[in-house]
Amino acid sequence: MSARRTERARRGLGAGAVAALVLVLVATFVGPLLWMGLTSVKSYGEATASPPTLWPHEVDLSAYERLLSLDGPYPVLRWFLNSLLAGVLHTALVLVVASTAAFALARMPFRGRGLVFGVIVSTLFLPAFVFLMPNYLMIDRLGWTDSVWALVVPGAAGAFGVFFLRQFMVNLPVELEEAAALDGANQWGVFRRVVLPNTRPALATLAVLAFLGNWNDYIWPVYVLFSPERLTLPAGLRLLQGAYVTDYPSIMAGAVVASVPVIVLFVLTQRFVIEGVARSGLKG
Amino acid sequence: MSAALPTPRRPLRRGAWWTPWAFLAPFALVFGTFVALPAVRGLWMSLHDWDYLMPSKPFVGLGNYADLFDSTSVVFQRFWDGMAATGIFVVASVPFLLTLPLLLAMALNRRFPARTFVRAVVFLPYVLGVAVVGVLFRFVLDPNLGVLNHLLGLTRLDRVLHALGAGDPVPWLTAQPWTWVSLVGVTVWWTLGFNTIIYLAGLQDVPRELYDAAQVDGASPAQRFRHVTLPGLRPVLAFVLTMTFLASANMFGQSDLMTSGGPGTSTRTALMVILDTGLGQYRMGSAAAMGYLLSIGLGLVSIASFWALRERGGGGRRRGARARRRAAGGAS
Amino acid sequence: MSQPVPAPARPRPGAQPRSSGLSRRGFLAGLGAVGLGATVAACSSGSPSPSGTSRGGVVDLTFWNGFTGGDGPVMQDLVDRFNAEHDGVDVTMTTMEWADFHAKLPAALTSGQGPHIAIQHLDSLPTSAARGLLLPLDDLAADLALTADDFIRPVWDAGIYAGARYGIPLDVHPLGFFCNTAVMAGAGLDPADPPMDRASYEAALDALLANGVAGHWMSPHTFTGGQTLQSLIWQFGGDLLDADGATAAWARDEGVEALSWMVDAVHRGWSARDVGQDADIIALQNGQAAFNWNGIWSINTLDGISGLEWDVRRLPRIGSVDAAWAGSHNFVLTKQKGTTDDQLEAARTFVNWVSQQSAAWAVGGQVPARRSARESAEFQALAPQAAIAEQADDLRFPPSIPGIGDAIGELYTALNEAVLLVKEPREALADAAARADQVLADNRDRYGA
Repeated sequence: MSARRTERARRGLGAGAVAALVLVLVATFVGPLLWMGLTSVKSYGEATASPPTLWPHEVDLSAYERLLSLDGPYPVLRWFLNSLLAGVLHTALVLVVASTAAFALARMPFRGRGLVFGVIVSTLFLPAFVFLMPNYLMIDRLGWTDSVWALVVPGAAGAFGVFFLRQFMVNLPVELEEAAALDGANQWGVFRRVVLPNTRPALATLAVLAFLGNWNDYIWPVYVLFSPERLTLPAGLRLLQGAYVTDYPSIMAGAVVASVPVIVLFVLTQRFVIEGVARSGLKG
Repeated sequence: MSAALPTPRRPLRRGAWWTPWAFLAPFALVFGTFVALPAVRGLWMSLHDWDYLMPSKPFVGLGNYADLFDSTSVVFQRFWDGMAATGIFVVASVPFLLTLPLLLAMALNRRFPARTFVRAVVFLPYVLGVAVVGVLFRFVLDPNLGVLNHLLGLTRLDRVLHALGAGDPVPWLTAQPWTWVSLVGVTVWWTLGFNTIIYLAGLQDVPRELYDAAQVDGASPAQRFRHVTLPGLRPVLAFVLTMTFLASANMFGQSDLMTSGGPGTSTRTALMVILDTGLGQYRMGSAAAMGYLLSIGLGLVSIASFWALRERGGGGRRRGARARRRAAGGAS
Repeated sequence: MSQPVPAPARPRPGAQPRSSGLSRRGFLAGLGAVGLGATVAACSSGSPSPSGTSRGGVVDLTFWNGFTGGDGPVMQDLVDRFNAEHDGVDVTMTTMEWADFHAKLPAALTSGQGPHIAIQHLDSLPTSAARGLLLPLDDLAADLALTADDFIRPVWDAGIYAGARYGIPLDVHPLGFFCNTAVMAGAGLDPADPPMDRASYEAALDALLANGVAGHWMSPHTFTGGQTLQSLIWQFGGDLLDADGATAAWARDEGVEALSWMVDAVHRGWSARDVGQDADIIALQNGQAAFNWNGIWSINTLDGISGLEWDVRRLPRIGSVDAAWAGSHNFVLTKQKGTTDDQLEAARTFVNWVSQQSAAWAVGGQVPARRSARESAEFQALAPQAAIAEQADDLRFPPSIPGIGDAIGELYTALNEAVLLVKEPREALADAAARADQVLADNRDRYGA
């Protein structure tokens, strides 16, 4: 009898602890975002008052009026769309180049394969910033500065993607290929009909990582984009903060406009994204 | 069909000799233009006084590199201050970014009602991106206008910080070491979810039988952690460590948005110095040299940490196998 | 660039791929959203057309500046008025922090993505001209009938590089002495008679301190600490550079005295510690400080705070002579490939038009560059601006040498270190001077003497 009570007590305590943890986590991670929203609807005087107020005395939407056009000097919505476009195109390019190269390296013997693979892997150890300056010059030469191509193309042929997919493809049973070959498929057919479908989890993972990486990229867009309407979210918010140095309602409003579409997108794709990230650590 | 014969694991040869190269072509084009060529070109640039805006770019040999070791040159100070800042940030942030997500993952690694919601909430900052996080906390942490100091005042917790030597109001962004505390704290807030998710997957991958076997052997929770969880997580740990280390060594956004490298230049990381020299002052040769030096440093540390973790990898697997055998034999 | 994580994988032999378990609906919904977004972005991202005109002959111009203070909205207003009055031209203005602006402008111009019109301070104008980024505008100056005696000498000279004029001076913006009169009264000081010399200034600060107020917050940042420090160095009889402009002179006794005065204020409690960017003027707004030496552009910021009682005067004399830092904004036309003749013509019209709106710009918190405009009744009617403009003869400007920005940047580092109590003033200034000397030597090589 007492064992059961202690068991139930322990479970109750456990449930209480979990509830407390959930509360703390939600407060920590959602709290600042709520503050961001509250500040964005206060007037400048109220937002910079000391001590700060919790709820705005009077809701002031002037910051949003300034930011919510597609053509103003700080078009936050356009920045979001630029980021989205760059992310999607970049991810698509990454998947295409990495999967084709990985297939060649994993499933097709040819002279020089080892060398090619070696060259690719050797760049794994070079951090991204080593390429920044020369790539800037290359982008300039190609006339791609201030364009979405500068964001999409340069980082698309990373060694990680090829390495990751190759690992996966190497482990696919050769019987699959043979079955397709018996049906008369050539290499392209094998690739399209056998290898790709069976690599889907790894492709999904790579897609998530590539998109997130491009989305979160802060440095490169800041230096390679100039016109306000071409900026991505990170570069744009930086410009906004610089322009409205202490006008916190405006800056917070910009952050809100930047966050809301992201949150919506995340809610819709959340399981996909999280599982993609989770899988990336497993190398399965 | 061919069930009787053992299938040879020879990969098939099909198509023309150029087929592999055709498959490699897209990658090779992008890789060649934006990875291989720049790697070499950067090296070439580092051997010149390469000013982007000036017509002539004279060859200076190893001059740019020498300047970085010459204490009287202007770049020497800037570069090594930057390296110091990067070093401080890495040492301060990596331990937290390794351990806190693990603890959180273990706490979340059980079924409870709001689990999916909590997972999403914790991951959300990462998806929002460094810019939103940076401008938000620039405001929240402002010593005079920020809500954090206001809350600390309300709860009297600021007394604790004053006792530790902080000024009044607590200078989260304008004095050291509080600025480092802020940067590390915000980085943890931003990326905790990412590492947590990876750990969670790793935890869920540790076979249940190992825990059962350990429990049968009478192991305490701490022992179970040491002998089952940690070894099982070793590859994931290595992955997270490398990723976190590289991310911290490349820290730029948080400093740029929250402190602009201040106070003084104490939070101006090596990467900020490189970018300011190369794309702010347009001295790309010098910046390229700095970049190569930094990457050599990073490479050395990476190799060292990799080697340290790899050493005991075999042992862990052996222990796991032993536990598995015991579980198979013991549980009846 | 976004290279995904470069960590080598450790293969686990025999591991089967986990079932993805991804919610098909979620994934498709996500893709749908993404696809929609991409389409919208592709449709609506217009690129500046190569001919420089879009929509039936309207000439598009871009204009960059760093007016992040109270002057920004006033310039935007002028731009809007110009656009309204000139049907065939559409000017878009973008504001960013000055540090950013100076870093980005060259790259943007060289790649043809920069603005057509820009503002340059008189100390950055020679650098840009030396880098070949600007177009000469002697004829535009002639159109505006600008003559040397209508300007303060340094302002006039700064626009000329290698014998040609590259800038049209728009204004002179000095530092002013702003006071929160309510706080002054609260400490027993006469709000109509702010202290104008060292003795009475320090006495006032003591009185404020006795009343629990840190009277003058010392900023460790370029704005406003950097300008305060330069003013003080000149007031104490020192200078930024030697007469020949070859070496830094701020590490001499006068410079040390100037910086030490600021640091002492922190030690004595006249200033709060670790003042954040713009926290000094916000403190004035919130009644936590009484005095603030800030740019004339703050007039509109303070005007916008309802209920704030404030006043502004010329700088008090803390040193032995009167001196106040001033800058000067110049209009410049940029040289970049892709600019059409139409755009050039429109840009000149713009500069011409705005240069003549000195009254409106003055309202924005600036002092007109031309003496005639300064002495006009219209300007004199703007009391705060006129008060600051009183010190017109004592205004000092940073030197106009190519590349000077980098050298003066070292002074700002010394300021930051000293006011944040990280280094002693003498040491900070000496270290900064050593670095600045190198930069100056470097610049001479780079840009020619």
